[in-house]
Amino acid sequence: MNLATLRDRAQLAEPRDLLRNPVVLSLLVLLALFAAGNLVAPGFASYGSFVNTLRIAAFLGVIAAGQTIVILGGGEGIDLSVGKIATFSTVVVAQVSQGEDERLLVAIAAAFAYCGLIGLANGIGVAYLRIPPLVMTLGMVGVVTGIIRVYSGGQPEGRAPAVLSQVVNGTALGGVRGSVWIWLVVAVCTIWLLRRTTFGRRVYALGANREAAFLSGINVQRNLVLLYVASSLYAALGGIMLLGFAGAASINLADQYQLISIAAVVIGGTTLAGGIGGYLGTAVGAVVLQTMRNLLIVLDIPAAGRQVVNGVILIVLLSLYGRQRRLRQ
Amino acid sequence: MAFLEMRGVDKRYGGVVALDDASLSAERGEVHGLLGANGSGKSTLNKILTGVVAPDRASIEVDGADTRIDRPQDAHHRGISAVFQELSLVPDLSVTANIVLAFESTRLGFVQRRRDRERAAALLERFAPAFHGNTLPLQAPVGSLSPGEQQIVEIAKAIAREPDILVLDEATASLYSAQVEVVSAVVRELRAAGALVLFTSHRLGEIYDLCDRATVLRNGAVAGAVELAETTEAELVELMVGSVTAPAQEVVEGRGAASLEAARDVPRLEVEGLTTDRLQDISCRVAAGEVLGLGGLAGQGQSALLNALFGAVRIRGGSVTIDGQPALPRRPKQAVDHGIALVPGNRGREGLFPVRPILENLTVPSMRGRARFGVLSDAAERAAAVRAGEQLQIKYGSLDDGVMTLSGGNQQKVVVGKWLLTDPRVVLLDDPTKGIDVRAKAELYEVITALTEQGVAVLLNSSDDDELLALSHRVLVFFEGRVVSELSGNELTRDRLVADSLQVAAT
Repeated sequence: MNLATLRDRAQLAEPRDLLRNPVVLSLLVLLALFAAGNLVAPGFASYGSFVNTLRIAAFLGVIAAGQTIVILGGGEGIDLSVGKIATFSTVVVAQVSQGEDERLLVAIAAAFAYCGLIGLANGIGVAYLRIPPLVMTLGMVGVVTGIIRVYSGGQPEGRAPAVLSQVVNGTALGGVRGSVWIWLVVAVCTIWLLRRTTFGRRVYALGANREAAFLSGINVQRNLVLLYVASSLYAALGGIMLLGFAGAASINLADQYQLISIAAVVIGGTTLAGGIGGYLGTAVGAVVLQTMRNLLIVLDIPAAGRQVVNGVILIVLLSLYGRQRRLRQ
Repeated sequence: MAFLEMRGVDKRYGGVVALDDASLSAERGEVHGLLGANGSGKSTLNKILTGVVAPDRASIEVDGADTRIDRPQDAHHRGISAVFQELSLVPDLSVTANIVLAFESTRLGFVQRRRDRERAAALLERFAPAFHGNTLPLQAPVGSLSPGEQQIVEIAKAIAREPDILVLDEATASLYSAQVEVVSAVVRELRAAGALVLFTSHRLGEIYDLCDRATVLRNGAVAGAVELAETTEAELVELMVGSVTAPAQEVVEGRGAASLEAARDVPRLEVEGLTTDRLQDISCRVAAGEVLGLGGLAGQGQSALLNALFGAVRIRGGSVTIDGQPALPRRPKQAVDHGIALVPGNRGREGLFPVRPILENLTVPSMRGRARFGVLSDAAERAAAVRAGEQLQIKYGSLDDGVMTLSGGNQQKVVVGKWLLTDPRVVLLDDPTKGIDVRAKAELYEVITALTEQGVAVLLNSSDDDELLALSHRVLVFFEGRVVSELSGNELTRDRLVADSLQVAAT
């Protein structure tokens, strides 16, 4: 690190800039949530409770990593199929492995391969057939739903192999569960991918100005396809982890991640217009959403009410995003 | 007192004077030409009259009444309609809907679609000969029509508002001669009905055919108002060019013209019969270290050639070789691989990643060469960016600052700098000094000179004729997608350039 970068870091540390940093803002929101929760239910902000929150947030965190990449790539990019792809992944692993440890690796390979193909189809639809991402990925939800029904006969067989459950749920180092460690590795890799690889730079370039990216010699269409393939691979991994946690697959196990993965990305400061943001914010966003959910539970709000609150939060966030975009122009 | 009086019109864009005390005076029942070379301010004057551009100072009187035109709506209310070369149609709406847009017939607040259709049909009837007697399909979305048909819809839309003043600014540029004749007939009808038509065209023939009088602009000021019947084409060109200012010859001197002559036998870039939608059969050779200027009135194919050489548009035929190797690019990535760089005409829209830092803006096109298996080294990326920054004297605080925090001139240097890092063999510059200050311009000229010293072949398009003449060893003059002449040596003068741009025999 040379002097210039040191100075740049130091500039970032000015208080006013910090308050504009969406990651810092999300962290402040997180603190506020824990403080509020602790008033209602003492122990809400305890270490054990926090670690447990991370354990559940890990699934969202991993799935939202792919969503982050797609949204960063701009051009109205969004992947509404991540939830269904993750569900498909749980079904594939459960059925292929039939709960047997020695077939786990084959099952995981199958899940990545099948889900990767779905992502490839999404990418080709968006990049080459110029179908709007919203339409393409929403349509894909229907397609995958059908595939799951046919593939599982409506009732997925098999269950999570014991090894998978142990890895995901086992504790190590200070009571932190396996899912959190996997998430940590995924987070580090994703941040590195976005910041230190040509692929990452191209993602930002596509999102910031697709025309300029094209005229800078970037193969726009091929890189767009890669965005959606990456997204589906993250969703597949999230599904595999979720199966280890839940023990058995169902035909809608991960469907809820369709929308909250987008919420996590937006809370984390990545703009829906693309080109600005990163994974660190999304990771904090995932913890914020999980904490909010926990808070609604300790407040004893029924499931239907929690859904309403979740929806309202999403609307508020998206309207804030609209303001942001106007500011940009 | 004439029907339209514009007086004391001033407009500056940053430090650049577009109009300086310009004026215009025209009567009802007249077709009035507006003429001038590139950068003379004729489009700016049209845009001020139609409320698209706000003047710094202007007095506009219509029919003897002081008129403020701050927005396009003000112009509409005063009965001023305009057609520019860039269309203002909504591609997904039907022909009818476009023509009556914001002028729909209503009854109790409900749109009367049938009445709208009849109005549109009656209007387009006047243009029927342009479509071989058929009328346009009124229900078809405008986006499905040919460019010429769209242009006619645009003209019909302007006429639908029954304007007192109609501005046609290169409105015939994309039309075939048969279509031009139909538009001319409609213009004459309007004149007979007492309207004032302000007419701008790069085709002098159309000006002579249609206009009664013309105002000639030069460098933002009026060079003269003439009766066309009493003025020859050569006299018009003389008015546009004025007393010939010597081009900045010192820039060209000392470049070793003799060695260049020798080098020309082995061209760095050779283009043979290049044809696209906008270009016909373009051939040229550019030697290493040579600057080939692309001249002519704006939009005659100069940018189109640069985009074609960069693989940004579909090429229909022809060949391109660089150092003897075939290098016809199908997409920009291939062009970059061949060592071609393009500094695009619209810096903000095509050249920059506005929300990203200076660092990424400078390094993205060249990063592949520095990466190992797609992995970047932060130190190497920064070193490359610093190198480009020093070479171009870019003034920035930190490489991590957003690129939009820079001044316009420094932004343009970033666009140039990102290509320097790719070590290009051919550099395509599309109006690189548009809208940047004098100092940044001078620095960019130095960069161009430095490029040529390194043996780069440069193709330069510039809307500033003086700049083009000063920087280029040779200039190709474009007219409607073709090269009509090549100027070199002592032919590199402003009056030759303007005369050839308008296809007038040299005086």
